[in-house]
Amino acid sequence: MAAIEVHQFAQCITCHAWNSDHSMVAFCPNNNEVHIYKMFQDKWEKLHVLKKHDQIISGIDWSARSNRIVTVSHDRNSYVWNQEGSEWVPTLVILRLNRAALCVQWSPKENKFAVGSGAKTVCICYYEQENNWWVSKLIRKKHDSSVTSIAWHPNNDGRMRCKLLDPTFNIDVLGEKGQTEGLWYLLPEAPGFFLQQHLQMENAECFPPLSEVLIQGNQKWARLQIQNLERISLHFNWISRQSIVAVMDIFLLNQQIVQLDLSFSWAFGVKWSPSGNTLAYVGHSSVIYFVDDVGPSPLAQNVAFRDLPLRDVLFVSEKMVIGVGFDCNPMVFAADETGIWRFIKFLGERKTASSGSKYGSQFSGAFGKLYGQSKYGVSNDGVETSRTSGGVHENCINCIVPLREGNTSRTTRFSTSGLDGKVVIWDVENQEDLLDYL
Amino acid sequence: MANTLRLYLTCIRNTLDAAMCLQNFPCQEVERHNKPEVEMKTSPELLLNPILICRNEAEKCLIETSINSLRISLKVKQADELENILTKKFLRFLSMRAEAFQVLRRKPVQGYDISFLITNYHCEDMQKHKLIDFIVQFMEDIDKEISELKMSMNTRGRLVATEFLKQFM
Repeated sequence: MAAIEVHQFAQCITCHAWNSDHSMVAFCPNNNEVHIYKMFQDKWEKLHVLKKHDQIISGIDWSARSNRIVTVSHDRNSYVWNQEGSEWVPTLVILRLNRAALCVQWSPKENKFAVGSGAKTVCICYYEQENNWWVSKLIRKKHDSSVTSIAWHPNNDGRMRCKLLDPTFNIDVLGEKGQTEGLWYLLPEAPGFFLQQHLQMENAECFPPLSEVLIQGNQKWARLQIQNLERISLHFNWISRQSIVAVMDIFLLNQQIVQLDLSFSWAFGVKWSPSGNTLAYVGHSSVIYFVDDVGPSPLAQNVAFRDLPLRDVLFVSEKMVIGVGFDCNPMVFAADETGIWRFIKFLGERKTASSGSKYGSQFSGAFGKLYGQSKYGVSNDGVETSRTSGGVHENCINCIVPLREGNTSRTTRFSTSGLDGKVVIWDVENQEDLLDYL
Repeated sequence: MANTLRLYLTCIRNTLDAAMCLQNFPCQEVERHNKPEVEMKTSPELLLNPILICRNEAEKCLIETSINSLRISLKVKQADELENILTKKFLRFLSMRAEAFQVLRRKPVQGYDISFLITNYHCEDMQKHKLIDFIVQFMEDIDKEISELKMSMNTRGRLVATEFLKQFM
């Protein structure tokens, strides 16, 4: 059995998140509270109740390194919770949204978080040291409908193609001309000064001035605002690699790289693969989409399956994806050597009898008629009752969270939570037939 | 039960199984609202295509789905005027007590006899297959109930008539 732990925490769970060593879990029991449980000698105990929102909490994310919890709610607000002693202290983040916030995720570096909302926009929030305040920037390009899911690219910010080993590297900012207004670059001060001397821009209309200097920790940062350019080439000859990495900390605020119109139904649960090369998302028409080469000319694959639609996905490895949803049972999708994705199996065990009754009902019903209705029970003439799922979860699974150990890109353990109030931990390590894809 | 009724109910059951994939979804048009989209119809992209399942002209079932709610409207067979009156009275009696049923709508959709409204909250509180069983059981029972009512009505009419005519004997 792939499910290794099942915990019934509440009547109904909307979302959950784990701390860095997976000893504590935060979840929303389908109301305006966040409950934090900790494991004490094989028993979960309720440690804290975070109570600040007015309406149901739609998203929780717990940053592993900085140990902060961000929550968003239908009341349009977001709080960042910091642990001070034994208390969790909230900081209100004014998202400047006029509709409900629906989803939230910390960036891989945990310096920013993104919030998707019913206002058809996404905001990126970051911390401003001097004001002691989380600032929210709205992406000006609006979606056509509510933003139901958000995923950060593993390289933290937007899509840049960088050759780090090469002393000269290019940052290609893909986007329409004139759309780059509000593009912010954070540069360490000294190399920034150097860069200012050596920055060569192909069609920049003006040279970017150093507009602000920030102090973050003991590092000084300069902030430039660059407008109206399509492509910047940064030339380095002697700067250490460290500063190159620092230069890559870029806010891409107004860049839409590509719009995918594959799904003719609602799209949920978008995720990047660990390397950031593949994007997966699900449609409500029981289809999962895999997109390679996300850029101007993406390559997409649709995999349709016969069961109920999915709500969320998770990349276990580059070649394996777990999807969870209305079927109450995680589904495994995997890519073969040629890169073709297909459905492999259900991860949870099903009671075969119940599924058999659904599909064999008409046939056995007709048989029953033929043989005088004695053999097949008394309810032959009635309509068969619906099957129960028979799996670990009894209701729709709406959240899947990886349980990463250390810095590996591979995740063999993950947890799912659903409307039945259970948090289930799964392990795919012991599944022999799936080992090839890990 | 006639075989066609079973096929009809199986079809409805399978459709409901696929359609009852609801989730909590706040209103996109009004701040801090969370209303069944199938009733409000605020944004067209949140509605799915309605499905009409007909057994014959007199008996049909309309299933309208949206992102957070599902509406099932039933038209019950009414062969004659007596059945018509009985159905109307009986279903009105039920609709008046809609609170007790939770998923029952107080007023049927136009052109139908009775409507159910299932929201994501019902799916959170109740098991999905039980909800579907309830709807299908309801449809099964309503026909029986009405033919029983009709029978007892006839019996009673006959009794009353006999009693009345006795005085002329």
